[in-house]
Amino acid sequence: MNDIFGSALIAAIIASTIRGTTPILLAALGETYAERSGLLNLGIEGMMVAGAFSSFAVALNLNSLFYGFLSAAVVGLTLGLVFGILTITLRVNQIVVGLGLTIFAHSMSSFLHRVIFGNQFPILFGAGGTNEIPVLARIPIIGQAIFNQHWMVYLTFAMVPVLYGLMYKTRFGLRVRAVGETPLAADAAGVNVNRIRYYTILLGGLTASLGGAFMALGDLAFFVPDMIMGRGYIAIVVVMLGQWNPFKVCWGGLLFGFALALTSAMQVAGINISPDFILMLPYLFVIVALLLFTRSTNLPSSLCVPYKRGADGK
Amino acid sequence: MRKAYCAVAVLIFFIGFVAAPATAGDPPKLVGLALPEAGTDKGWNEQGKVGLEIVAKKYGFKIELAEALGYGDIKPTLRDMAKKGCELIICHASGYQTVAPEIARETGVKVTTVENHRDITAGLISDIDTQPQGGSYLAGWLAGKMTRSNIVGIVASAEPPTWNRMSAGFAQGLKASNPNSKLLYSVIGEAAYADAAGGKRNTQDQIAVGADVIFGMGDGASFGMLQACTTKKAADGGKAWFIDVIGDKRSIDKADVLLSSVIMDMSVVYEEIIKSYMDGTFGQQHWIGMKNGSIYLMELNPAVPAGVKEELNAIRKNIVAGKIKVADIPTAVDLHKFLKKTFPR
Repeated sequence: MNDIFGSALIAAIIASTIRGTTPILLAALGETYAERSGLLNLGIEGMMVAGAFSSFAVALNLNSLFYGFLSAAVVGLTLGLVFGILTITLRVNQIVVGLGLTIFAHSMSSFLHRVIFGNQFPILFGAGGTNEIPVLARIPIIGQAIFNQHWMVYLTFAMVPVLYGLMYKTRFGLRVRAVGETPLAADAAGVNVNRIRYYTILLGGLTASLGGAFMALGDLAFFVPDMIMGRGYIAIVVVMLGQWNPFKVCWGGLLFGFALALTSAMQVAGINISPDFILMLPYLFVIVALLLFTRSTNLPSSLCVPYKRGADGK
Repeated sequence: MRKAYCAVAVLIFFIGFVAAPATAGDPPKLVGLALPEAGTDKGWNEQGKVGLEIVAKKYGFKIELAEALGYGDIKPTLRDMAKKGCELIICHASGYQTVAPEIARETGVKVTTVENHRDITAGLISDIDTQPQGGSYLAGWLAGKMTRSNIVGIVASAEPPTWNRMSAGFAQGLKASNPNSKLLYSVIGEAAYADAAGGKRNTQDQIAVGADVIFGMGDGASFGMLQACTTKKAADGGKAWFIDVIGDKRSIDKADVLLSSVIMDMSVVYEEIIKSYMDGTFGQQHWIGMKNGSIYLMELNPAVPAGVKEELNAIRKNIVAGKIKVADIPTAVDLHKFLKKTFPR
């Protein structure tokens, strides 16, 4: 430690943790529901890219952040629907569809970016701002770090208890879990398996796309192809780390966000550890956490298994 | 008699014209250019594309462009270029240093690699490497003069030889211009060239602890660094300045925080390569550096005092003349040692 490792850096770590967690958590919350119902959506990375690009392009052209986020929502729902039609109705392999969607979204976003903006990388002025919460923002050190964030940050963290309640305290949540474990029994009990899975993948597409939109409009105010940098895949790992429980998923996201923030802060503080080791920390944290907390975890029984009525669930 | 003299003169001229050895061949008709990212990134890839276009216009050849190829197996693309008749293929990324020589040996088409000294082969494989430390020394000098807090930061998206050389040169220039300064150094990731969010996070953290000049090396990640300087004020409430590398981002610098950029003008080395192709000496090491004018500091922000501009001009001349020796440190391990020694913390 040294003289510059003071309250300013601690506040920066907290702020970075929260900001870095938000897109991952947002995507992970939707994926939690999708996986709970038996759908492994590897297209989450592509949905984030598509959300980032569409929100930025629309917001820039219409000069409206609202329409930017709205377009990301529409794009996310559309990609979720495509994933649903292919995997639920047509019963195509989920992994193949997910990876295909990611490649498609990546390529299409890069292509459209080139067509629309050429060699320009415009910045959306007015985006990336923060919303200070009165009184709370004045708390020393943590006030500005926690309570002076983009509104999407507050919304994302507020969704955690709501989605937890929906999962564990409502009939809908019970049906989601039942469909993911024993779709045949759920079907016999009168649950429309495919409809539940469509709901969850639409939610997954929506939140993943909004996660990308947050990066483009809430955090950075511009779009660069490849800017998602694997955060979609990290969201999938966080869901597993959180054992498909929204609260635990939130902690998993925060753990990764904190580790990411540490990589920067430890270097700035001049801590005498090789940058190679510091940069490894986020992944090391997640691997250790996976080993410690998920050894007894069972995947949802019908994860990746398409359901066909009258075919014993196979 | 006069007619006889004229006849002899014409004869001598004709014999000389026919008998003289060819001093220059034709340029290639078609040159392939393989880029890992889009040629519109305002950085390494765009400089490569624009540089070759300048040379193509001058020498009258066509370009077969393949961009956004990534860092995977690009052999099919290179074979396709060879089939289309490319007489020279420039593989504009150090990540292609394995496949490019293989394709050259397989097809017999001349290739140019990046940072790959060991495979240089006369008549077949030439290589481009960088010596950008002189330019970044100037950037470090500029940072040392412009900092108000005496805290300056370097943010790098990875630690390839080019970035390491630049970091070392920057640190040396900073120390020379402002011995009381502190230097912060952050790496975003192993290969986080496009991690704009990481670039912003690291830059914000450096600004949070007092840095008011950031030297950023990042490709796509540098957009995040510029954004951080645009949105976050320095500790004293003033601007956090940004110094970029390779390309020119002035068109997107609406907040006027860009002090300058260490420009890499690829057209200079590409012209060297085309000339070597024409005169039969293809297969050499080419350098992007200050001596051949391919590295220079972009036009400075108007906020830079005239006195500093004059100092920078004088230093540039001294570096080119070899009067100032700038450290050439390509490896990350040596760079870390050098930074610790130069700026003990």
